[in-house]
Amino acid sequence: MIKASVEPWIEAPLQQFVDDAGVVLALLLHPSGQVMGQYGFTRAMDVMSACALAAAIHLSSSELGMQLEGKPFTGLHHAGKDRQVFIAETETRRGPYILLTVFDGESSLGLVRMFFDEFRVNLANAAPVPVPAPHPMLNENFERELNRNLAVLFGRA
Amino acid sequence: MSSPFTAILDAFSRQRGVQASLAVSARDGIAIESNLQIGQDGTRVAALAASLYAKARKAATAAGLGSTGFLQLEAEAGRLCMLGGDDVILVVVGDPQANVGLIRMELIRAAEALA
Amino acid sequence: MSLVNYQTREITSKIVYYGPGRSGKTTNLHTIYSQVPDDRKGKMVSLATQTDRTLFFDFLPLDLGSISGFTTRFQLYTVPGQVYYHATRKLVLQGADGVVFVADSQARQLQENIESFQDLHQNLSEQGVEPRGIPLVLQYNKQDLPPDLILTTKELSDAINFRGVPEFPADALHGPGVFETLRGISELVLKRLSAGASR
Repeated sequence: MIKASVEPWIEAPLQQFVDDAGVVLALLLHPSGQVMGQYGFTRAMDVMSACALAAAIHLSSSELGMQLEGKPFTGLHHAGKDRQVFIAETETRRGPYILLTVFDGESSLGLVRMFFDEFRVNLANAAPVPVPAPHPMLNENFERELNRNLAVLFGRA
Repeated sequence: MSSPFTAILDAFSRQRGVQASLAVSARDGIAIESNLQIGQDGTRVAALAASLYAKARKAATAAGLGSTGFLQLEAEAGRLCMLGGDDVILVVVGDPQANVGLIRMELIRAAEALA
Repeated sequence: MSLVNYQTREITSKIVYYGPGRSGKTTNLHTIYSQVPDDRKGKMVSLATQTDRTLFFDFLPLDLGSISGFTTRFQLYTVPGQVYYHATRKLVLQGADGVVFVADSQARQLQENIESFQDLHQNLSEQGVEPRGIPLVLQYNKQDLPPDLILTTKELSDAINFRGVPEFPADALHGPGVFETLRGISELVLKRLSAGASR
């Protein structure tokens, strides 16, 4: 199984959450749908699809909460036959993130919620102060590489 | 507002040495109803107790011992007593003065009443 | 905004295909999906009605390979085109690094194209994004239809392309123009990233 995070400070809190809550899958994502850290997925592309869906679910349920109650819902839980899904937002000095986690009978909603509360604190404490990021500084001829890669992708190479 | 568990939990709370009593959803680990003292975190107790009881049931099954009944956890400052089924687990938190025999009897009686 | 990881040397950018209903946004993604090898794409997610009209969005992750030493991934989204999906269009558009506006070349759809283009600019403004700053290309789809039913690319350009952005004629159903459009928006997004806008 892949265990990876986009930024190092995410790894420890996410791993702690996974270990404590005993979940099957965990995804930390930016509200725009970009993955920040994950546990349990086997393909990078599957992670991206899951992130897109999780972000959409979170966004739409927040919007629904705004329309119904004037404030967004704070978390979402879906209980399937064998597995359950929990989605909730957390705030750090780097901005908001969304956690999606899937768990089975080895865990429970109560445990997940309890350890999510701890995860929020750990993540917030671990988040470094944002610093201006350098530019990727792509090469002058990056268009050539892009065109070549796209051509390969579309079978035109 | 009372529930089917109100009278049961109240009965536990009247016993000497009982600090807290909870009725917990076995699947979710969330307290359905609880009698707590000020400062106690029923949410955490419910989640962890349910998890513990679930693991105990699996251990008993794996050992060929059949279904699990009364479970007692001894700790430095007291004890945790549990008994439940597929849906609900009754949890009692007691100090060293709590009468485990009485608690066990009440748990069995309550579980039969709920069933 | 694009996500850049300097440790793992990865770039991930979000591109949204926008446009009026039935202009060919989903068709673009289907065509891309059908031409790209399995190891360079993820599952295509389509949240659609039973009649295959996009209800929420379509999503396709693409691995463009290494560009200047950065593993470059694009997340392609489409929005629902019908007017009444205004709220969900706004949600999908959030965080977009580039937009492909897919116009329907049919003459009778001109007003829908214009209104959808205005809708795009309004949504970007409401999100605090300068519409003239975000990478944008225009695709004039359905150029394969009979000439008496469609507007020429010049007519469409005069009507819609007041910003003078790159534009591409296309027949998304059969393929022509899809690759060129994706290349066009990719270049703009990566150029802008290199010039200094990243997360």
